[in-house]
Amino acid sequence: MRRRTALLTSVLLFVCWSPALGREPDDDRRIDTPPPPVPDVGPAPYIAPPPEIYYVTDTYVADVVTANGPLTTYSTTTVHESTGSYARVLETVGTGVPSVYDGRAFNGRRALADGRLVAGTYYENYVRTDAGFEAVSIVFFQDDAELARLEAARPSNVPGPQATPARTAGPVASPCCAATRPVAPVRPAPTAAPARPIRPGISLLPAGASLAGLEVLRGRQVALWPRAFVDDREVAVSSWTVIRGEAGDALTLTGAGGVPFRTAWRRLAPPDSAFELVFRIEVDTPETGPRAALVAITVVVRSPALVE
Amino acid sequence: MSWIRDDAGAAMVTTLVLAPLLLVVLAGVLQLGALRVAAARVRAAADLATLVAVNDQDDAELARSGTLRLAADAGDVAREYFARELELSAPLLERSATEIAAGADVAAYASAPAIDTRTGARYDRPTLRLVAEVPVRTPVFGALILRPVTVLHVVALSSPR
Repeated sequence: MRRRTALLTSVLLFVCWSPALGREPDDDRRIDTPPPPVPDVGPAPYIAPPPEIYYVTDTYVADVVTANGPLTTYSTTTVHESTGSYARVLETVGTGVPSVYDGRAFNGRRALADGRLVAGTYYENYVRTDAGFEAVSIVFFQDDAELARLEAARPSNVPGPQATPARTAGPVASPCCAATRPVAPVRPAPTAAPARPIRPGISLLPAGASLAGLEVLRGRQVALWPRAFVDDREVAVSSWTVIRGEAGDALTLTGAGGVPFRTAWRRLAPPDSAFELVFRIEVDTPETGPRAALVAITVVVRSPALVE
Repeated sequence: MSWIRDDAGAAMVTTLVLAPLLLVVLAGVLQLGALRVAAARVRAAADLATLVAVNDQDDAELARSGTLRLAADAGDVAREYFARELELSAPLLERSATEIAAGADVAAYASAPAIDTRTGARYDRPTLRLVAEVPVRTPVFGALILRPVTVLHVVALSSPR
């Protein structure tokens, strides 16, 4: 009887057998499971820019004033690179001609030695957002020149307007009286030193390394310090503004130079993408004058997760 | 001996034969269920420990390079939390939670890419790996001339994604 019971028990146990731990984690790794199908989303839809707006391939760097003998040239340096922004021409103005955009360009509009405003072109910069093309700033590309003369050469010996040659033209004769008045030797007009390019940056510490990209954990608060450099020397930032990008839980999108941009991201970016934040950093020091520059930082939000 | 040939006798014999068998099967099923619950708890403890450890990042490296890197004490954090979580299942464990956590193989791959020296797996992100052998009491299995202690093998991996 006991043998029969034992036999029946064994048979039942054999039939009802199942592993206590059917899933072996190491086995999972050995299984060559095909990767999950990636939905074919296709290329991003192309949004044509409105008329007069074109894609920027040469980016503003700095205003340059150069003195070559009696000729002082006001020009703008650019760098051939694309930041993904767009622009359109607002207005082309001549020497001394006021514009409704005066005072609205982030780099300002200089004046000649006689006080007249330099000639040039106003451009409005755009960025493409989900809602379309959004204007972010106005920049003035100066293009002018002036010829200096000795004050003593003037009949009245009173400082007055100096002759302004045509834009992009070389040295020209005085517009009047050149034949009847003796022309004294010319000397360079006092001009401002050429503006050096501002290199903006973002760092996690007030004196930390500038970062082009950043990984943060979801929900973790971070402080981003907008900074600016001229010739690898840091200059004080007067103010900053977040003009584009996913700012997370930030309480404010603008601040003074000594205040960082504090935020935290509570959601992740879509797969294989990242948030991009664009800051406009303004400096206003005796060395630089009122200037502004744009800087972008890529933010990848991550979250601790289990790995199979 | 006629009673053994009628229906009442047959039912009694059947009951006497099958009742112990059914009790044994029932006990085994209950023990198996308890073991599965214990396995789930142990796995959850390991998963939670690695997640907590990965959530602790090296702030200095983040400020320097902008990239996430596991903190230097990530392994210790994982071991500590593994012990804390196992404490909740202490009655099921053959050894103390602290001993089990101390014997766990915890490896922190602070930067990526990295190759796991134990499994050979490649990690493209900073990863923390925990492997542990957790002995769980299985008294019913012991009574059935099986193992009174069943060792659960648990592996947990976590990384910021």
